[in-house]
Amino acid sequence: MTKFASLLFIAGLAFFLMVVTGLLPLGNSPMLIGNAILDSAKEQVGAANVVTSVVLAYRGLDTLGELSILFAAASAVGLLLTKSSFNKPSKNPTNTEESDSGFVAINGIDLIFPLLLVVGMYIISHGHLTPGGGFQGGVVLAIAFAMRSIVRPRGKSIDHGVVTFIEAFAGLSFIVIGLVALYTQGHFLQPMLDQGHFGSLWSAGTIPLLYLAVGLKVGAELAGLILALNTDEVNI
Amino acid sequence: MNHLILLVVLPLLSAFIIPVVAKHSLTISRLIGPVVLVFILALVVLSWNSVGSNGFAIFLGGFLPPVGIVFYIDHFSLMLSGLIAGMLLIVWPWNSYVAPRQYSLYMLLTAASFGLVLSADLFNLYVFYELLAVATYGLIARQKNPAAAVAALRYLFVSATGSAMLLLGIAIIYTLTGTLNIAHLATMTDQLHGLAGLSAFALIVIGAGVKAEMFLLNTWVPEVYSTIETPLAALLAGLISKLATVLIIRVLLMLFQQSEVLQMLLVVGVFGVISGEMVAWRAKDMLRMLSFSSIAQLGMIFIAFSIAGEVGLWIGLAMMLHHLLVKGGLFLLADKMQGSFDNLRGYAKRSAMAVAIFIIFILSLLGIPPFPGFWIKLMLILNLAEQNNTLYHYAIGFILLATVIEAAYLFKLVRYLFQDEEAATIVSTPKSLTFWYAQIFALVLLVSLAFISPISNRLKDMASQVANPDIYINTILPSHLSGGNP
Repeated sequence: MTKFASLLFIAGLAFFLMVVTGLLPLGNSPMLIGNAILDSAKEQVGAANVVTSVVLAYRGLDTLGELSILFAAASAVGLLLTKSSFNKPSKNPTNTEESDSGFVAINGIDLIFPLLLVVGMYIISHGHLTPGGGFQGGVVLAIAFAMRSIVRPRGKSIDHGVVTFIEAFAGLSFIVIGLVALYTQGHFLQPMLDQGHFGSLWSAGTIPLLYLAVGLKVGAELAGLILALNTDEVNI
Repeated sequence: MNHLILLVVLPLLSAFIIPVVAKHSLTISRLIGPVVLVFILALVVLSWNSVGSNGFAIFLGGFLPPVGIVFYIDHFSLMLSGLIAGMLLIVWPWNSYVAPRQYSLYMLLTAASFGLVLSADLFNLYVFYELLAVATYGLIARQKNPAAAVAALRYLFVSATGSAMLLLGIAIIYTLTGTLNIAHLATMTDQLHGLAGLSAFALIVIGAGVKAEMFLLNTWVPEVYSTIETPLAALLAGLISKLATVLIIRVLLMLFQQSEVLQMLLVVGVFGVISGEMVAWRAKDMLRMLSFSSIAQLGMIFIAFSIAGEVGLWIGLAMMLHHLLVKGGLFLLADKMQGSFDNLRGYAKRSAMAVAIFIIFILSLLGIPPFPGFWIKLMLILNLAEQNNTLYHYAIGFILLATVIEAAYLFKLVRYLFQDEEAATIVSTPKSLTFWYAQIFALVLLVSLAFISPISNRLKDMASQVANPDIYINTILPSHLSGGNP
């Protein structure tokens, strides 16, 4: 009966969405804000990647909110996996050597690891010029550490204290940049500094700095999550 | 005035640094939260007079609307901000040991609440709504008992579905109009009044209705409230549910001021009242009874808001404040008076003060003169009677019926409290902090009795300010007046 009811609900929802989609002017919807941003983004923000102007300048507070959501989720997972909770970790730690994934995997990852870090940092630092940026680059950084911890489940891939510090420092610097703008320019997260030469690495004022903070924050958050899932004893 | 953005930013900042500070000094990390909250409370009080009757808009990043994100600050949102800061100080986990990350979650919850109250941008509202949701998942699941984990999981499913609906609704509005700024949208309401626009509104109501304990979306309420610690329940039932209601009301007032929409709200409200009271009547334990009665009260608030114009708004506001005070107080009181009704037999002997406060609260909740609850309910019924629609007249009957049911189960409980079968069980209950707060809540309720007319005048002013979309539009989009389309 419950299954039938759920099926009916899903079918109804699907039908509803289909009808609504038919009503929407998809393809030629009015682009009031979109066009306004496209017209003014170049001189107001100075980032070659318009998406970045939207993410960090026009809707910077939303990005801060997204970072906080990620932080809340990571904190909640960390809290649930602490020792005191009912979710007891396994008692018998296996031998460090036995749980490793073998020569090929370990050395392969060791080889790829620095390359992944470089790619991640490149994506973050060129976020204002090319597609990509803090969120994507941060994920690449986190994956670099995650892969190391997958091939050596018992080995220590990164210190949890460092992760927590980077996490806090990145969040702090995002907000501090915003506050500096508030007290020098008059508005929170207002673009600051010289916009530089359009399209070059040193351009768009504070945008690259903000994206660096986003990247570090996202990377530390996800790496912390994987660490919390992987280790027996988490000290949050 | 731009510094009022600190209301959102400072809690976020403190949430980020608490885990690191805790590694060096646990004491400082525990103090950061309350210090920030007190600072914000002071900020709100100090800026009260500098906000004029037209409100004030903060353009984030210095981008003029409708392009950037806008915060709109008026007396109504400042009052709610003050309540948020005060309420969080009250439910702050002072004495129990908590992990530093839990303080972080509380601060994230605070930031999200301020954002929900202040923001005037649909997508920004969604971001804060989601932050609020994720922080509450963590806080609920963190409770020590496994039942809370199950409750948190179910809450997660319901709430995440709701969030998806909310996002879908906002996406439909954006596709239709090409803007997200509520004031900007309010200038083009004719585009929203088609079938697609109304379905977007329905989706938004469903999404926000999960937190507002709306009828059919409130299945998580009893389970969650009866498994988590009572101060947190007081926060969720007293304050967070109201913030979601405010979100619905803002969207309703600015964008969908139509009689069909109002009637939909009325019907949902009536169902909420009846179903909540019926189940509360059958409840066998204190916390469950309070949670179901909270569903009913939220239904009543929706009925009040369904009256068009300022009148409905100010009655709704008064009901919100009254419910915040009474239900918040009752949940704080339930910290001591927990458990099934059988356990509470003869409680009057154990703590006469607690029972006295309990009775004051429920008398006001029922609407017995001369308590504030009576005047609010009277105003509600009088104004419902004035409406030119039989639907509203039926609602009166349902409200009265619900009050009778409510009286039946509350007085039944009071009878239990005064029964003493074994008078020997006199336990010296420790004076807990929550009990003191409950006493303060009761005192505020009694004192407000003397100031009914100034308070209601103040609320009427606020309501006329909030109900007028022109003020909102002119403050946020000054260029709109001169006809220039930015």
